[in-house]
Amino acid sequence: MESKDVLVVGSGISGVASALELANAGVSVYLIEKEAVIGGHSASFCCKATDICSKCSACVVSDKIKEAVIHPQITLLTNSTIKGLGGELGNLHVEIIQQPRYVDEERCIACGLCTEVCPTDPKAIYPPFAEATPFSYILDEGLCLRFKGERCDLCRGSCPTKAIEFELKPKERELNVGAIIVATGFDVFDAREKGSLGYGRYPNVLTGLDLEQIFTREGYLRLPTNGKEPQNIAFIQCIGSRDEGHGYCSQVCCKYAMKLAGLIKYQNPDTQVTIFYIDLQTTGKGFAQFYEKYKESIRFVRGVPVEILQTISGELEVRFEDISQGKVCRDNFDLVVLSVGISPGKNSWDLARILGINLADDGFFDIKHPLSSNETNIDGVFVAGTCQGPKDIPDSIAHGIAAASKAMQVLAESASQGRGN
Amino acid sequence: METKIGVFLCNCGGAIKNIDFDAAVKKVAKFPGVTCVNLSSDLCLEEGKKKMISCIRGENIERVVVAACSPEFQEHILREVLEKAGLNGHLLSMANIREQCSWTHDGDVTEKAVELVKMAVNRVRLLQPMEKKELPVNREVLVVGGGFSASNTALQLSRVGLRTTLLEKEAVLGAGTEELESFYGFDTGSMISAVEVDKNIEVLTSAQMTEVGGKIGDFSVRIRQEGGEILRKYGAIVLATGHQTELALDSEPQLRAEDEAISGLNIVSQEQFCCMLGNSGLETEPKTIGFMFDFSDENSRFTTLATLNNALEAKKKWGSEIYVFCKNVKVDSEGMEKLYREARDCGVVFLKSEAPPRITAENGRVKIEAKDVFLGEDVILACDVLVAEELYLPAEGAENLSSLLSIRRDSKGFFQDENVHLYPVGSEKKGVFFIGGCRGDLDLGRVLTDISSVVMKVHELLSSGKILVELEKVKADPQKCVACLTCIRVCPHGAIQLVRVDGSKEVAEISDLACDACGICAAICPAKAIKFQGYRDEEILAQIEAIQEL
Amino acid sequence: MNGCIVAFCCEHSAYPAADLAGKLRLHYPENIRVIRVPCAGRVDVIHILKALEKGAAAVLVLGCEDGACHHITGNTRAKERVKYCNMLLKEVQIDGRPVAMFNLSPNAPHKFVSAVNEITKIIKESGR
Repeated sequence: MESKDVLVVGSGISGVASALELANAGVSVYLIEKEAVIGGHSASFCCKATDICSKCSACVVSDKIKEAVIHPQITLLTNSTIKGLGGELGNLHVEIIQQPRYVDEERCIACGLCTEVCPTDPKAIYPPFAEATPFSYILDEGLCLRFKGERCDLCRGSCPTKAIEFELKPKERELNVGAIIVATGFDVFDAREKGSLGYGRYPNVLTGLDLEQIFTREGYLRLPTNGKEPQNIAFIQCIGSRDEGHGYCSQVCCKYAMKLAGLIKYQNPDTQVTIFYIDLQTTGKGFAQFYEKYKESIRFVRGVPVEILQTISGELEVRFEDISQGKVCRDNFDLVVLSVGISPGKNSWDLARILGINLADDGFFDIKHPLSSNETNIDGVFVAGTCQGPKDIPDSIAHGIAAASKAMQVLAESASQGRGN
Repeated sequence: METKIGVFLCNCGGAIKNIDFDAAVKKVAKFPGVTCVNLSSDLCLEEGKKKMISCIRGENIERVVVAACSPEFQEHILREVLEKAGLNGHLLSMANIREQCSWTHDGDVTEKAVELVKMAVNRVRLLQPMEKKELPVNREVLVVGGGFSASNTALQLSRVGLRTTLLEKEAVLGAGTEELESFYGFDTGSMISAVEVDKNIEVLTSAQMTEVGGKIGDFSVRIRQEGGEILRKYGAIVLATGHQTELALDSEPQLRAEDEAISGLNIVSQEQFCCMLGNSGLETEPKTIGFMFDFSDENSRFTTLATLNNALEAKKKWGSEIYVFCKNVKVDSEGMEKLYREARDCGVVFLKSEAPPRITAENGRVKIEAKDVFLGEDVILACDVLVAEELYLPAEGAENLSSLLSIRRDSKGFFQDENVHLYPVGSEKKGVFFIGGCRGDLDLGRVLTDISSVVMKVHELLSSGKILVELEKVKADPQKCVACLTCIRVCPHGAIQLVRVDGSKEVAEISDLACDACGICAAICPAKAIKFQGYRDEEILAQIEAIQEL
Repeated sequence: MNGCIVAFCCEHSAYPAADLAGKLRLHYPENIRVIRVPCAGRVDVIHILKALEKGAAAVLVLGCEDGACHHITGNTRAKERVKYCNMLLKEVQIDGRPVAMFNLSPNAPHKFVSAVNEITKIIKESGR
């Protein structure tokens, strides 16, 4: 059994912030992550600066992740999930199952030789997204010929550091810790659930997350259909927030939409941008800068459209009720961006069951007591970040640091009672 | 005798194909001072590192250059390798021949790679060793304020074993907590009692800071009280001075113009309305109530919260007709959307308009006129009480505190500048933190998170009683310093002070604890007296010298 | 060093952005030499002038976005120094040797590449 002080589940910005605070305070930390790369959603957000910083905090995430990866007190376990929990307060036993990665991240030097020789198309072995940490290559079982029963050894043969190993089974490990911080993040609302908006059917209907990833990869925005610069863009707010299934505001969408709109206008001042909203959440850092610059040039329409149709010419016809005019209107756009909200993680159910922690009505992890939002119903198990409810990046960081504080108190109390590590 | 430099090149497992390493090794071996050149294919792995260590030891190498992938992750690992080999970890310079050379250029890049190595060799020759040391710090904390945030911070700090002074300018603790009490049902009285009995908390009321000097781990604070002045030392300072609200009269021009007519009307603040709700001896219960918010100030999270709570309470208590005039309802806090729906379900009517409503007097009642966006028409309401729009501002004294601590404020006057790298609760000055209402328009959830966050950060800093620093990383040479004060003025972290040396001369002293190693002082010093190890002028110029001089 | 661009890159913004450009295999001209600095505010006028004296075709200073400097005022100071250098160059009638400041974030590799491409274009047009 391996022992450390605290287990942090999830390596998104909140988990990383928790782990770093604890590590800097001399606490030993396991940071486990179910994916092959760490960083969660916010690691792939783009910089939205115009001629000044737009305070989106996306760059803050990459800083924190780098710090966590090099910190001697943090042990990173990727491809790992929790199978079971036992023990008692101050001395928790956690069963982890680590899926085989096939490419050993400690040996992979990201030389790229394996991708060069891989015979499949698309490649079964490839680099992770550019800002990924660790920057080690990933083998996709679904694409790899070996896992389809064929004989192929090309990548393993080409690897100069012998980082590739196929005969691997999932590994079970038992970790002994004093406290647990659950920071498993959120799922992006699946815009296909709102079928009438055309996401997944019309290529020029994108989500806010799609846009973030396009800007990071390409640096500028082009229409998916013909590669041309969009002239007329619509942002639709509250997709998956403040509706029947989601009785909350996702807190981030108005801000990211406005900042993305600002970036688009900065890159191409002639682009027409319209934002459809219910209540514009004009709070937080960066709003004042955005508003001063773009209040005249961006059209704000109160009223969220419910239907998008593609015209014969390929434009997107958006049907909405223009509340200020009191009638139903139709406007054509060449690109529509759905500002999708923060939904509870689908994995929360399993984790809640395994750890014995409650879920709230809205599907996020429940907190014990409204006057302290990190404690769960299980002593020694805390929650941090968006798995507990929607938050933006700075709030997720603060929440993670607060969770670290609560975890430290448990450690201190256990130590003084002579239990645990 | 020339310093012995060892150069280690890595070809990344043989994957770097556009550099002719054999040719590169030959050229590098000729650089002055280079006594050993090694080509490896796996410097980042254990085997490669072991070979490097034995090479350093075997060849008595005194400085190391590594030409490989980016220093981003490898630099700190390689510093440890140097230490294992018996060298000071700072005697290392890296040449980025992968991410910034091989991967971004077509064709053969051997020449550029060799030049990058030469730049690193020129720099490493001049590098000096640096030592680390643990410096002692004061473990006491000063919390400025006496309300909810300040008191709870002090209580939590006490729980982790840190002694706190709670500095409140009023005569009693607990100012500004009435609304929190009524919205969340928490008890100020018991909070204050807990603070007063806590052995780790010293409460100073009717007290204010008049001077602050020093740096993290060693702040000197002059406090003026009724009896006189005292001088205290603290390791960290937390500002929890809260917020204040001000009726937004500017958005209601009629309120000023028709002062006479309106002076007899019931136009109140949220706090006053709260008192009305709590007043069991109220003469007449208002039948029609109007609320206003979000026209002149986007910082309306708190007023949205106050409005919803007060409106619901009024509905329950008096069954009045309630109309809320606003532009946008700020629901971006936990539980707000739920509360908004509850209010509407209870019959509270929300009228949204773009422009602020006109307020006039009519027959002793407040008349509100606004163009509702949903109806597209003007709505006119005559109500018994109007809870007017409020501006959310930092509490009085913020400007004074800001200049005492030399801390900047954002465009609205709140502490914690808008720079995103100033993570929540931190400031540009190490050891100084801001939490709660003085930091911005926060709901209770965020305030509570702030409190726990700052306790963690302060605990992390001070609990062991010492902080590890790199000694004299940035230092002002007392022989050259003319005490012009330029560096002191420009240091963004307030890390430089004037000290007396040799009993007479005053020179600038850069605190190893507070310095954040930016080098702004080194660049601006007119006497070139400041040396920033690793980035001294000579170390930078040596790299320039190497360019295309092969 | 004719034809070389000396680029002072801040370790919080431009340096990681350049690394990211490398990971994405974005290409830019080979004649650029990056000098890593802890903050754009560390770059002194003398460093810029020495680079030009040695024959650099252009000097770039790259720091954090306006309002996002890790050290609050570093990028602003760098900008002022770049302006001052350009003023000096104008006074001594040296032209065609651009000295420019660019602001970017660590996750903006495209901005790094376009800064380099832009300066390369200016150098070519001035006939050096």
